Amino acid sequence: MATSDTGTRTVSIDAEQLAGKRFDYQSDMSLVENIDLDALTPGDDINWLEDVELLVEDGIPAVFDRYSNSFIKIYFEIPKGRENELARKVLMKHLTDGNSYGITLKDIHCKFPQVELGPWVAESKTVGTDWKPPVLEGWDAPASH
Amino acid sequence: MAGVSTAGSKSGISYDARGLVEPDAEAPHNSEIDGQKARFEATDLTTRQINKELRRLVYEEGITDVTIVNPGSKHSLAVGILKRCNITFEGSPGWFACGLIDGPTVHIDGRVGWSAGENMMSGSVVIERGAGSLTGAAIRGGDLVIKGDVGARTGIDQKGGTIIVMGSVGINTGFMMQRGRQIICGDAGDGLGDSMYDGKLYVGGTVASLGIDCVPGEWDDSDTEFIERKFANYGLGSPPEFQKFVCGKQLHNYDSLEPSERKLVI
Repeated sequence: MATSDTGTRTVSIDAEQLAGKRFDYQSDMSLVENIDLDALTPGDDINWLEDVELLVEDGIPAVFDRYSNSFIKIYFEIPKGRENELARKVLMKHLTDGNSYGITLKDIHCKFPQVELGPWVAESKTVGTDWKPPVLEGWDAPASH
Repeated sequence: MAGVSTAGSKSGISYDARGLVEPDAEAPHNSEIDGQKARFEATDLTTRQINKELRRLVYEEGITDVTIVNPGSKHSLAVGILKRCNITFEGSPGWFACGLIDGPTVHIDGRVGWSAGENMMSGSVVIERGAGSLTGAAIRGGDLVIKGDVGARTGIDQKGGTIIVMGSVGINTGFMMQRGRQIICGDAGDGLGDSMYDGKLYVGGTVASLGIDCVPGEWDDSDTEFIERKFANYGLGSPPEFQKFVCGKQLHNYDSLEPSERKLVI
């Protein structure tokens, strides 16, 4: 359970809390209108985005980011009939811009090679090629290890 | 290397008799590379060597189209590939093929053992022949297409994505399914959709028996659009007539779950 800036307690994990800020595309629909969902997903349709739908979190429309286990709230007015489409576009904007908290952790913590921005960005750099186990200062492994 | 033996191995493959992985394995660099395409022979390679070579090609060489020849039913091949690319198997991989993938388009010209595509996040896997039990276990997204028959518990704990089976499925298909869709063109064994929370099951053949809280569902236009789209995408011909099955909401349902539990399935 987390406490927000306003002191209210919530059981959710919020993308804004993780990032420490609100992103423009959460409030401005024009910033996501041109997202091409077919191009960003494998195959001939929207593939995994078929399962992404507009949800409600804390009474506000939101889309779930499975890569950081958090909700991205959507503050602009969503035209009727476009709920899931716009939820998917906000999510893809969040991911392709590298704003998902899970992506920000990759460079430091991932243990095997993978593309930083995920499979949706063709030219994303590879991270995780030189991971070393962390060393606890002042601790030596027992002789039996 | 301690614990490693080649005794009795006709192929000369080293393995750890304790069942441990080969911590010192290196990518064999045996691929023929032609532009963005690569192809390598896997007959004499261990599981780890095959996966090392595949990762080297995809992540280090930037290859977008890899063909693995003669995988020899080795287990856990092409696991954890988190990038858009094309992977082709000429031959049959073993258990847990293509698990935990996020993005690849995989074509398997053969059959697979247990748990193909388990925990898949996105992408597509097309298997030309049959698959073992637990196919698509805990799949979260993407498409898993099996052109033959599959074993028991297909899509157990499924949390998203689409499983298409052109043949028949065994017992307890869709067991504890939580989201997603299964299109089964043939028959389904006993206990279809047992203890499912949500999701949709379409069956073209006969159903031996329904599991607990799995009930016939009402067909609507979105079902027709979805099935026709998937059949067209994968060149599967004309879809047969299907019955639809859903959760009766008498056993488990999301309303009774804590928010933190609900997140596990979205």
